[in-house]
Amino acid sequence: MKLNRKSVLSFFRGYRAQAPDQEGILLKKGTRNTSYQRRWFILRGNLLFYLEHQADHTPLGLILLENCQVEQRLGATEPYAFTILTPRADGTEGGRSYKLAAENQEELGAWLGALAGASWRQLAALLSPLEAQYRELCQAAGQEPSSPPEDFLATFTTPSSFQELHERYGKEIQALQGVQRGPQEASDSESSRSQAEGEQGLNHSVLLSDLR
Amino acid sequence: MRYNEKELRALSRQPAELAAELGMRGPKKGSVLKRRLLKLVANFLFYFRTDEAETAPCVLPQPVGALLLERCVVSQEEACSFSLSFVEDMDRKYVFQCDSERQCLEWTGALRRASYEVMRRSLVFYRDEILKMTGKDPLEQLGISEEARFQLSAIKA
Repeated sequence: MKLNRKSVLSFFRGYRAQAPDQEGILLKKGTRNTSYQRRWFILRGNLLFYLEHQADHTPLGLILLENCQVEQRLGATEPYAFTILTPRADGTEGGRSYKLAAENQEELGAWLGALAGASWRQLAALLSPLEAQYRELCQAAGQEPSSPPEDFLATFTTPSSFQELHERYGKEIQALQGVQRGPQEASDSESSRSQAEGEQGLNHSVLLSDLR
Repeated sequence: MRYNEKELRALSRQPAELAAELGMRGPKKGSVLKRRLLKLVANFLFYFRTDEAETAPCVLPQPVGALLLERCVVSQEEACSFSLSFVEDMDRKYVFQCDSERQCLEWTGALRRASYEVMRRSLVFYRDEILKMTGKDPLEQLGISEEARFQLSAIKA
């Protein structure tokens, strides 16, 4: 099965300028070499990336966090150890387990918490009732419900050269999509855009050659 | 960049948000339209061969490929077809042929909403709206209102 690596790397690099859900050093037990190796881990959404060094342009690897079990491992040789157990190919339990360890109790707690809530499915489960509640409130108030933005530009939070980004992608996307946006558009245009987009132009040629 | 294919295969076997046989053409020049079984699961689009029904029942069908639906642009091309491309390389398009306009609209909407980041943004949107309308933060009851990953609105002017 071919995973489109470009789409994954694009996701990884594109949000680089934006704070991830969790990041930091974790010790990772190798598969062949069973010693622990220091890696920089970055959690964004339901994807957990690990890098050799924090500033690396390309991750060493990726762990997909859907239907996983994250458990503390007491009695391991390393303190603050935990395991991410991924499903088997057929979806049943007992697939690959990633043995990891944090550097202190605080980090362990932060990671366990972040990983527990990372799955897409959980986010979807949070989103549905909120959407329903909003519609009900609008109906009760006799108000026309508006829609949240659907294009990726709205997902950036760090303040940046909004104008540049909007010119670069905004018009093109809107023209392509013919997206009808409601009253929300006015307030959306005030939201911040990421520096990442500015970096993309410079990194474009590097991006293609780095892809493996 | 390493990844465990089994994790993806496991996901491809999960219940799909949408699944249908569509025509699909890859982004490479000279690609031909092929009939594929498309399956939208979480923020991934899996595509399978459509002749899997002929394989032995004990053999699990494996996807031919998977696309991560983040930072992508889904555009209507014609009445019954749409394209998918990634922001960094918008000229490279995956093109999909639907059986009807209705099906096309169904897929374009679902694919756009599948992105984790778009969903997160939507969650914050609804949270903010509900807070405005009721004075209460709906995420507070769940004990997660303070989590950094839902603080998008804090940055807004």
